[in-house]
Amino acid sequence: MNTRLLMTLRVTVATPQSIGAVPHGTRRTAPLIGGEFEGPRLRGSVLPQGSADWLLLRADGVLELDLRATLRTDDGALISMRSFGLRHGPPDVMAAMSRGEAVDPTAYYFRTTPRFETAHPAYAFLNHLVTIATGDRRPEGPIYTIHEVL
Amino acid sequence: MNARPLMRLRLTTAATQVIGPTPHGTLSIFPITGGTFEGERLRGTVLGGGDWVTAAADGTFELDLRVTLETDDGALIHMTFTGVRDDANHYFRTLPRFETAAPKYEFLNRLLAIGIGEVHPNGPVHAIEEIL
Repeated sequence: MNTRLLMTLRVTVATPQSIGAVPHGTRRTAPLIGGEFEGPRLRGSVLPQGSADWLLLRADGVLELDLRATLRTDDGALISMRSFGLRHGPPDVMAAMSRGEAVDPTAYYFRTTPRFETAHPAYAFLNHLVTIATGDRRPEGPIYTIHEVL
Repeated sequence: MNARPLMRLRLTTAATQVIGPTPHGTLSIFPITGGTFEGERLRGTVLGGGDWVTAAADGTFELDLRVTLETDDGALIHMTFTGVRDDANHYFRTLPRFETAAPKYEFLNRLLAIGIGEVHPNGPVHAIEEIL
């Protein structure tokens, strides 16, 4: 599988809203209140409204992530991003992360699959890209390194 | 990005059902009648399913597949993928996901994967790799 770097995306997360026990697991919603992204072909910021990560902790201990964010490039294009992902790891590592401690991102599995939509001609290439990302869950919010699948 | 081979999936399809222009594009359904999959950790046959394919105005296709896999030792695996097929750029990539209740194959519930698709006369072939 060949890939190349698309962007590094840092998001800032507000206090999650704990929905609680739902039929498929335990649900939390983490609003994204900002952030920035940068790569060889695009850079800009995350709009602070309308972006969040809808989290579902499954009974098997795997966290499903369903992130939706609106990105604005430095030249004014709006890009809608949706990303499904999975996060899981050894119980002690996940517990340390829950306590807000810095955890080595290689100690757990945190991968997502972003897709993009835009109407801006300069970024139309994003509409047809399949991408994969590695996540690094920092106390202030996750950092995603997103690679285009070539 | 690091990845390792998961399986090679060969699908056989029946005649396409063309639903036609819909609000999201031109929808066609490719019934999947069977197939095989093989990898180091699992192998078996495809019981059937379909791929709901929407053609966009720019000539690209959005894929939305659901099939049931049966391993050679009798486990059933629900597999889905979404993906993109862009023939003008020879780009055919998918994001498979798996669900199973079989303990032996439980690892499939916890991984994300990438499929590299190829068009063959007998049906599509997908080289699927686990994202490490």
